[in-house]
Amino acid sequence: MDILFDMISVQTFWKILLFIHFTLAVALLAAVTLQAVAVLIPARQTAGNFGDRLGPLSATSCAPVVVALYVPQVLMGMWIYTKYRIYVRIPMEQLGHWWIVGAFDGKEHVVAIGIALLPAYWYLWRREPLNSEYSSLRKWLTVLLALIVWYAFINGHIANDFRGVGS
Amino acid sequence: MSVQTSTTALKASKIGVFAFTFGIAFTILYTICVWRNWPLFTYHPAVNKLDLGWHPGRSGEGPAMHWYGWLALCYPAAAVVGWVATIISSRWLHRATMFGCVLAAPWPTVFVCAVFIADRASFDAEFLKSIWVSAIPAFMGAAAVSYFVPSQWAQRLWSDWLLIVPIGAFLVLGYSLRPLFLR
Repeated sequence: MDILFDMISVQTFWKILLFIHFTLAVALLAAVTLQAVAVLIPARQTAGNFGDRLGPLSATSCAPVVVALYVPQVLMGMWIYTKYRIYVRIPMEQLGHWWIVGAFDGKEHVVAIGIALLPAYWYLWRREPLNSEYSSLRKWLTVLLALIVWYAFINGHIANDFRGVGS
Repeated sequence: MSVQTSTTALKASKIGVFAFTFGIAFTILYTICVWRNWPLFTYHPAVNKLDLGWHPGRSGEGPAMHWYGWLALCYPAAAVVGWVATIISSRWLHRATMFGCVLAAPWPTVFVCAVFIADRASFDAEFLKSIWVSAIPAFMGAAAVSYFVPSQWAQRLWSDWLLIVPIGAFLVLGYSLRPLFLR
């Protein structure tokens, strides 16, 4: 690490990590939103439109992408979280931004539960037939995961606006 | 597809049983650990120190972080529960899941009621503030429900707990953050 910090400042290092965290978040958000929309919009009969392309096949292919992005995203978040706790949360508390503090605490809970739901999510998408009796469970679990990612993204963005990249 | 067929299919796939049980068990364990403040360890990021169990932030050492400690306790514990689920019969699995999930609702409810009563009672009712006292009626209620509920219901509900439990957990955890939102 010392060699790295000879080349870039500590602050720049953490900003790069935060930027990677943000980039992964955008990719994850896109994948899980696409999948949630695909399971919520019923298959259309007319060929060639956008709804058609968001069919079961694309929803299935999103599942490994979501898992492959969610896990490193959480690990990256866990790493950066120490800096949030010291350099972001304390000023938030001092300035009385309790809503943001509370919402970010909520983020840690939903993200932790989200990662615990991933094995079942992966199993339902990759091991169970699409038309099995678990179709409904798979659909709503995907929507729940999308809501978790959206909640985490929005809260992360608010925290970043308070004191992150560009501040 | 009948319930019996799907259960057999899922029984054949131990991965499925593990995955479902892991998700349900983690959510319940995590909510309990957050509610009771039971982390495996406390991390002090400013001084890079670890303490076993729960510790408050010490003066001059910055804030204390318990989240890692909750995760370090709950993920392995949920994995053990998931592994146990793969080796017991499906009948026991459905009953045990029903017991665990039902228990998660009345235990905090009874506890909140007990604390409410203890705070207002004209006699010394401090013993009601123990979570183990409220555990007694909650355990008995959950045991009764999981014993008397028809096995078809327990089977049908088994996979649905994967959605019901996290949504319930979000409500409980959201409520636990209420002091921050009401400041």
